[in-house]
Amino acid sequence: MSKDLALPPHAIEKLPSGLTLLAIQKRGLPLFHARLSLPAGACEDPRGKSGLAQFTVDLLRRGTRRRPAQDVDDLIESMGAQLYADASMEEAALALTVPAELAGRALDALLEVALEPAFEESEVSAARRRTVAALQSDLDEPSSVAARAVVTLGYGPGHPYAHPGAGFRRDVESFSAEDPRGFHATRYQQSGALFAVVGKDEPNQLLALLREKLAQWQGSWPGPAQRLQLQFSALPPGDGLRAVIIHKPDATQAQVRIVSPGLPRTTPRYAEAVAMNTALGGGFTSLLVDAIRVDRGLSYSVSTRLHMNRRAGLSIFSSFTKNETLRELIDVALEKMRGYAADGPSEDSLDKARSYLAGLFPLGLESHEALAEQIADALLDGVGLDHLAKYRSRVLAVTAEQAKAIAAELSPARPGAQLVVVGEAEVARRALAGLCPTEVRQLEEFA
Amino acid sequence: MALDPKDFPVEEHALPNGLQIRLLRDNALPVATLYSFFRVGSRNERPGITGISHLFEHMMFNGSRKYGPKEFDRRLESAGGSSNAYTSNDLTAYYEDFASDALPLVLDLESDRMASLTIDDNSLAREREVVKEERRFRTDNDIDGMMDEAMGALAFLAHPYRWPVIGWMTDIDAITRQDCEKYFRTYYAPNNCTLVLVGDFDSQKALGLIEQLYAPVPTGEPLPTVAVGEPPQKGERRAVIRYPSQAPAVLVGFRGPGGQDPDSLVLDLIETALSSGEGARLKRALVYQQELCVDAGVFFGWRMDPGLFEVSLKLNPGVDPLRAESSLFAELSRFCDEELSPKELDRAKNLVRAQLLRGLSTSNGRAHTIGQMEMMLGTWRAMLDLGDRYSSITAADLKRVAQKTFAPHRRNVVTLIPGEVES
Repeated sequence: MSKDLALPPHAIEKLPSGLTLLAIQKRGLPLFHARLSLPAGACEDPRGKSGLAQFTVDLLRRGTRRRPAQDVDDLIESMGAQLYADASMEEAALALTVPAELAGRALDALLEVALEPAFEESEVSAARRRTVAALQSDLDEPSSVAARAVVTLGYGPGHPYAHPGAGFRRDVESFSAEDPRGFHATRYQQSGALFAVVGKDEPNQLLALLREKLAQWQGSWPGPAQRLQLQFSALPPGDGLRAVIIHKPDATQAQVRIVSPGLPRTTPRYAEAVAMNTALGGGFTSLLVDAIRVDRGLSYSVSTRLHMNRRAGLSIFSSFTKNETLRELIDVALEKMRGYAADGPSEDSLDKARSYLAGLFPLGLESHEALAEQIADALLDGVGLDHLAKYRSRVLAVTAEQAKAIAAELSPARPGAQLVVVGEAEVARRALAGLCPTEVRQLEEFA
Repeated sequence: MALDPKDFPVEEHALPNGLQIRLLRDNALPVATLYSFFRVGSRNERPGITGISHLFEHMMFNGSRKYGPKEFDRRLESAGGSSNAYTSNDLTAYYEDFASDALPLVLDLESDRMASLTIDDNSLAREREVVKEERRFRTDNDIDGMMDEAMGALAFLAHPYRWPVIGWMTDIDAITRQDCEKYFRTYYAPNNCTLVLVGDFDSQKALGLIEQLYAPVPTGEPLPTVAVGEPPQKGERRAVIRYPSQAPAVLVGFRGPGGQDPDSLVLDLIETALSSGEGARLKRALVYQQELCVDAGVFFGWRMDPGLFEVSLKLNPGVDPLRAESSLFAELSRFCDEELSPKELDRAKNLVRAQLLRGLSTSNGRAHTIGQMEMMLGTWRAMLDLGDRYSSITAADLKRVAQKTFAPHRRNVVTLIPGEVES
C-alpha cells in the first residue's frame, strides 16, 4: 500500500490571461463534469459586507443578460443537471454534471451564468429577504450556531476568515444591487481562476472543447480590476481557557466546541498534521471517540478537525451531550487533549492513523466531482499535484517524533483555547462553574 | 436509457445456508466496498422495544468471539478501511470502504460478528446512552426530527411505520440484553442477509473466502410475520408542536404505495417535478414567487409496505402556516387537474436518470444501489432498466397518481408553532 497514487490522464494549461485550464479523463460512466473556480471567496468580503461572496454566487443564476431566472433554471435542469454554486473562504465555484453528449451545452450554460449575471434590482431585493430569513432560521440548528461562532471567535476580530461564509444578518440587510455587481466586476477575473472538466475523452480533446467555448465567451469576462491586498495576520495567542455560552432556550443537549489556532492548508507539515489529528479525534477509534463515546457513552459524535484555509487555519474539537453531563464531557475532553499534547500519539495509534488515511485516500478521488475539486484545489492552493499523488507515501512516512511535536502545537485545548457552548445558559453556566472565565451571549448575535 | 449490462457484470451466488452474494469487479482504483444488508428494520419491532433495530446496529460494533470489544474498527482502520451502518424502517445495512488488500480481514470481521456477536450488559448500557444522545441530537433538539416523529404517529394507526426508527426514549431505556439476544438470533442469520462486494478484487478468491468464512454460520428460523395492517384513512389528520423556534414549519404527509408498486416510480417523478432543482414547482412558487418559505422539500422513499409522500415547508419567520398550506395545496391541485407539460416531464425524467447515474459513480454507490434493488425490488437487475421504466411514464400517469395520492382526506398535517408549551 506504500506506492504513490497514479492520477488519471490529465492536461493543464495556463493561459496568458491567468486562467488555468484542467482536463481530466475518466472512463466509465458517460458523464461530463465542469467546474469553474474563481478568486471570489468569502475572505474577499469587504468589511461590513460579510456574506457578499455567497450572496453574489447565489444570485448568478437569478437571471442573466440573456434570459430571466426561470429560463436559467430550465436551461440547466433540462439537461438533468443541478448547478452547484457556492463560495468557500477562498473561491466561488460553479459546477455541473451532465450526460457526456451535452458537454458543449453545459459549458455554455456555466459560462453564461458565471460571466453574464443580470443582478436585477428585484432579484437582488428578493435574494436579500430570502437570505435574511434563512440566517434567522439557521439559529434553530444548534450545530450551525456553533459553527458560526467557532470561525468568528477562532480567527478573531479583523481577520479575513473571521465570519461565516453566509455572512451576518446585519450585513446582508444592507446589501443593494451595487454590492454584488461591484463584487462580480472586481473578483470574477480570469487571473487566479481555474476551469476544470472531467469526461471520457482524451485530455487534449477535452482541452480543445474548453478552449473553443472560452473563445466564444471571451468578451463576456469583466475587465481587469485592481483589488486590495488582504491582510492575514497571525492568530493571536491567548492566556488561558475562556468560554462563551450561547443561550439556546429549551435545549436538552449542549453543543460543545473547543477551538485554537491551527495551520494553513499550504503547510509543508500537512501529512503529519493530518495523521496526528486522525489519532486524536479523526477516525472512529481515535483517542477522544474511545474516551467519550465508547468508554463513557457521553456523546453520539466526537471529533477533532483541522479547519485549513489557504492562509490560516483552526484546530477544533466538536461534540455534544445532554445537559446533565456537560461538565463531565468537557473535563474528559480537556484532560485527554492536554495529555495528548504532552505525549503525542502512541506508536499503535499513529500506525493505525497512517494506514487508515492512506487506505481510504483513493475513495476521495472516485467521482467526477471529487476528481475535479481535489485536483483544482491542489493547483489553486499552490501545493502541486504531488499533494495528491504522494499523499499516501507522505502520510505513511510520518514519524512518532513528528506527530508528537505537532500534537503539542495543534492541540485544540492548549492555553488560549476558546470553549463555545450552545445550550441553556443557566445550565451551562452552572456546569462551567470554576472552570474558566465565562461570558453569556445571545443567539441573535450569531445570526 | 437502459444501463448496459456489460458495464455491470454482477455475479450472483448463494450459499447453502441462504446467504446471498453479489460481486461486481472494478479495478480503476485500489479500493473496494462491502455491504451487508439485513432484512430487518423498525417495521420488525413491537411497542415496548421500539428502536431495538437501531440500537442493535450500534451493538454490532461491540465485539464478537474472535475480535473483542473495540477490535472491529481498530483492526479495520489499521488496514486502511472505515465502516458505518444505517437502520431504516425496512432494513439495516453495514458497510466498509477499504484499501483492496484488506478484503480478507473485512470478510473475517463481518462473518465473525454474524456468527458470534457478544452482547453483554456493560456494552449495552454504554451503547444505550450513546443512542439516547443520538436521539436528543436528531429528534428532541431538531425541528425536522421532532416533526417527522409526529408525522409517523399521526399517519399510521396500526402499522409499525408508526414509531420512529430510533425508537421512543422510554423503550430505548427498557430494552434488555435478552431482547437483544433474541433479536440477533432471529434476524442476523445468513438467510436474512445479502452481501454486496464492489471494487478491486479477484472474484474467485473473494468467493472462496466468503464460502470459507460464512458457510459454517447456521441458517436461521423463518422470520416472524410483520403486522402490516393499516386501516384506510377517512379524513384529514392534524398535529401541532409548540417549540421555541425562530419560524413556523409545516410537514404534510400522504399515504403512498410500497416500493414494489409501479406507482412508486411515478411518485419519484412527481417528487422531482415538485422539489428537485431551483426550477421545481414548489421552490418556484413558494420560495421565489410567494416568498413564504426558506425551503420547500419533498421526500418519497421506497418502502416495503405503503409509506409516505412527505412535503416539508420551512417557513419564513412570521408567515402564517395556514397560508403556506393553502399555497401548497393549490400547487398539488394543479398536479391533479392539469397534465405536466412535455418540457416539465422531460426535465423530471432527466433529473431522475442523472441522479441514478451519479449514484453509480463510486464503489460505495454501486454497492448500495445493487443492495437496495435486491432489498426493495427483489433483484439488482431492476437497476438496469430503471431508466427505461421512468422514460415510459406519461403525463397522464402523473395526473392519475397525483389524484389518487393527494386527495384531501389522505392528508396528514404537522404544524410547528414557535413558542413554549403552556404548563
